[in-house]
Amino acid sequence: MRRTAVAATALALCATLAATSCSSSSSSSKGGGTFTAILTQIDSKAPINPYNQSTNSFRGYNAMMLGWSKNTATDPNKFYPAIAKSWELSPDGTKLTVHIQPNAKWSDGKPVTGDDLKLSAAVAYAEGGSAFAAIPGTAGGTVDVKVIDDKTVEFDQNATKPLNTWFANVMTMYVLPAHVWSAQVPSDIWDTIHTALTGSAADAKTAQDTITALGKKLIGWGPDKDVSAGPFTLTRVTTSEALLTKNKNFYDADKIAPSQVVIKNYQDNSTIVNLLLKGEIDGSVYVAVSQSQLDKILAVKGNQVVSGASPVQASLVFNESKKPFDNVHVRRGLAYLIDRAQVTKVGESSSGKASPYPAGLTAAQIQGWGVSTSGLNAYSVDTAKAATEFQQAGLKQAGGKWTLPDGKPFTVPIQTTSDFNDWTSGASNVAAQLQAAGVDAKVTASSDYATYLADLAAGKFTVSWWLTALGPSAYNIYQRLYGAANGWTLGTGGGVAHSAAGQSGNWMGEAESADVSGLGTVNPGELTNQLSQVPPDQQKQIVAKLAAFTNDQVPAIAMWDYVNQNFVNTNRFTGFPPNDADVLRQPQGVWMQLGYIKAKAK
Amino acid sequence: MRNLLVRLAGHLVRALVMIWVVATFTFFLIRLMPGDPVAAQYEKLVQQGMSPDAARNATRLTYGFLPTGSGWDQYVHYLWRLLHFDFGRSTQTLGVNASAEVLTGAKWTIGLVLAGILISFALGTVLGVIAAIRRSSGVGDALTITGSLFHAIPQFVMALVLITVFTVIWPVFPTDGNVDILVDPGFNGPYVASLVSHASLPALAYALSMFGSYLLTMRSSVISVLGDDFVLAAELRGLTRTMRLRYIARNALLPLFTIFALTIGFMFGGAVFIEKAFNYPGMGITLINSIGHRDYSTMNATFLLITAAVIVANIVADLLYTAIDPRVRRGGEAVA
Repeated sequence: MRRTAVAATALALCATLAATSCSSSSSSSKGGGTFTAILTQIDSKAPINPYNQSTNSFRGYNAMMLGWSKNTATDPNKFYPAIAKSWELSPDGTKLTVHIQPNAKWSDGKPVTGDDLKLSAAVAYAEGGSAFAAIPGTAGGTVDVKVIDDKTVEFDQNATKPLNTWFANVMTMYVLPAHVWSAQVPSDIWDTIHTALTGSAADAKTAQDTITALGKKLIGWGPDKDVSAGPFTLTRVTTSEALLTKNKNFYDADKIAPSQVVIKNYQDNSTIVNLLLKGEIDGSVYVAVSQSQLDKILAVKGNQVVSGASPVQASLVFNESKKPFDNVHVRRGLAYLIDRAQVTKVGESSSGKASPYPAGLTAAQIQGWGVSTSGLNAYSVDTAKAATEFQQAGLKQAGGKWTLPDGKPFTVPIQTTSDFNDWTSGASNVAAQLQAAGVDAKVTASSDYATYLADLAAGKFTVSWWLTALGPSAYNIYQRLYGAANGWTLGTGGGVAHSAAGQSGNWMGEAESADVSGLGTVNPGELTNQLSQVPPDQQKQIVAKLAAFTNDQVPAIAMWDYVNQNFVNTNRFTGFPPNDADVLRQPQGVWMQLGYIKAKAK
Repeated sequence: MRNLLVRLAGHLVRALVMIWVVATFTFFLIRLMPGDPVAAQYEKLVQQGMSPDAARNATRLTYGFLPTGSGWDQYVHYLWRLLHFDFGRSTQTLGVNASAEVLTGAKWTIGLVLAGILISFALGTVLGVIAAIRRSSGVGDALTITGSLFHAIPQFVMALVLITVFTVIWPVFPTDGNVDILVDPGFNGPYVASLVSHASLPALAYALSMFGSYLLTMRSSVISVLGDDFVLAAELRGLTRTMRLRYIARNALLPLFTIFALTIGFMFGGAVFIEKAFNYPGMGITLINSIGHRDYSTMNATFLLITAAVIVANIVADLLYTAIDPRVRRGGEAVA
């Protein structure tokens, strides 16, 4: 009996080991049918709801928008078709007519109609989409959505306060299946929305509260079974992976090569690097890796990197409410002391390029907007110019060390966060360079990014990292420098108000306006606000002015422009987009929709 | 029987008090943490390409799931909800119950912890007996040194060693996750095999980092028991070696139950390191993510579940102690 038990146990162990080895090998020989991607954090409890921050609705795969932004540096209104096959925008930009893909169907076979778009717009109001604010008189707000016919829908913007960002905001609306979602949305939702927008003050307030409550209810809801108009539908999800299966009803199903997509959880960089080193990932979103890691990844058979410009820049930003950093000469002097190429080499060697000019724009954005570089100061390393600037600020040099006018040491405290290695390494290099130039610089790291952001917003830091140039729209780009963080707040009805340093989230503490040689008195917040309202040709002039202002006033020293680095593997699929393609700034599901990614011939 | 019930009632009262203390402590400790969940979420959305206005609107919803009111009001509200087993809503996965978030991870962690405890306990006790009986030989010395060595290696180092050996140098086990998603779920061979293969290394990491303490304790316990009169009596009565070993092992096992109970708490705590290393989606990963997002509800729920697990394990161990040790069962009376 005992012998039998031992034998049975041994057999079970052998079977387990055999099955284990089968399982391991199967994952490495998935063939050309399954595309493995890394996109975002996965949460198996998350609803299939694109509005939830943790969602099992993946943009470009089973979540569809009206269009896919090309994210071009100069025109945020350029889109690839998605659910909208085509569209017309009225000359004044207040009326958008969308034509739905004639063959668009949901995965359960029902056609995508105008009613789906109208219901989607109602949900967008509840979830607070920027083009769908249920507040009367909102600049750039949608005031009506009309179903013209089954395949045509008209969106109307608030004509009294139009914004040029409205079109892009509408086009990035998620399209939801009305026959699935309508049970969650009151049938009189459009009456409520209209009351919120046009009713008396009391009625509007009640309606807004109703819509807010609906938003809170809807955000945690999702259907049990995925119904998608995208190229894939969610089959199942575990706590570390999601499996999506090709949607045969997708309007461009012929373009979609993979029969399945596995999306792996984006836990941390080291996990992704390990997967890349095993050659298991067919397409990954941007991953920050060191040069040595990059070399190892590219040494793996089939691994390649496709890269393009990224509308993101890492900058050291000053808190100008702290002395002596309120003095522009101090900021300029520091800019002259820092070799940004060296900082980039240390901090972001594999996926960063030293920013050519501290102007609030990446190199690609400067080129795209046609900003004349002849008028911009590159702040190349020049200790003599730095000394001149420091002396103009009243700083003194004694024994090779710079001191404040009162004789105390001139100290530059640089704050970083342990969460980002590139920032920490970069900050250490900046400190070393400044110390070599006689400036007492020290680096302190916050324990994590959440703590860093909270302390940053509280104005606790003096010099700290900040992501700038976050485009693609020029308005978004300069909002990072001349938005709420620097005291300028856009009212819902348009117009901009400025808060003093330390109030209403103003942690940068810059003065409301400054005199700049050749430009006169400039209020950068007002100019930034105008960027959301004027046509592209006028935006170009404002961008040039803001670039010059930023370059002169140096509220931040741009260190490097990030490079949008996507890892792909050509062992199972080919036909990836080329370097610098605008589609690289969209998920791989969108690449597939646009005809990229083909199964490799065996 | 009455003694047992009184004992159990005492345990339950103490457990409830302990849970209340931990709930109170973690409630305030978590809220003292620096970091703003709304700011973190806003930044994340902007960096994902959302316009500042849209990100501001989207994060506005988060406020609806954040606790409001004074600290005391929040505390009273929290305790009231706790009495109804309501841990609140997650701000990480907006609107989803925090308890659902935690329980999803908990089932995987409990599986790993149980597997790790069973393997380490079995390995540790058997090798501990051998190390004690053959304490004067090379085998005994080797086992003692091995036990000390493994006992000294932290769990996360053990995890990294296993990852390097079994997924990089000799890639026979999967790198991460709890199951291969391409395998159809259900009670079928491939799915079970996939579960086992994914859990093997994390469970082994638990087991290898814990068996050393069982081995060393069992060894010293057996050596101590070997000198007892009943062992000599058994030998004089001519009992077989196997019978004598059984006597010795049963008596020597008693101190291990104390360690056993403590180990459970240690292993739940270790889940943070081991699950992070293997990207194994248990409670440890849930806790790490909730801390990163400053998801107070999920953090509270995770800490409480870990506390409850440790308390329950201690009660169970204590009751088992009663069952296996007649002296405890009889309230300390001498056994006739």
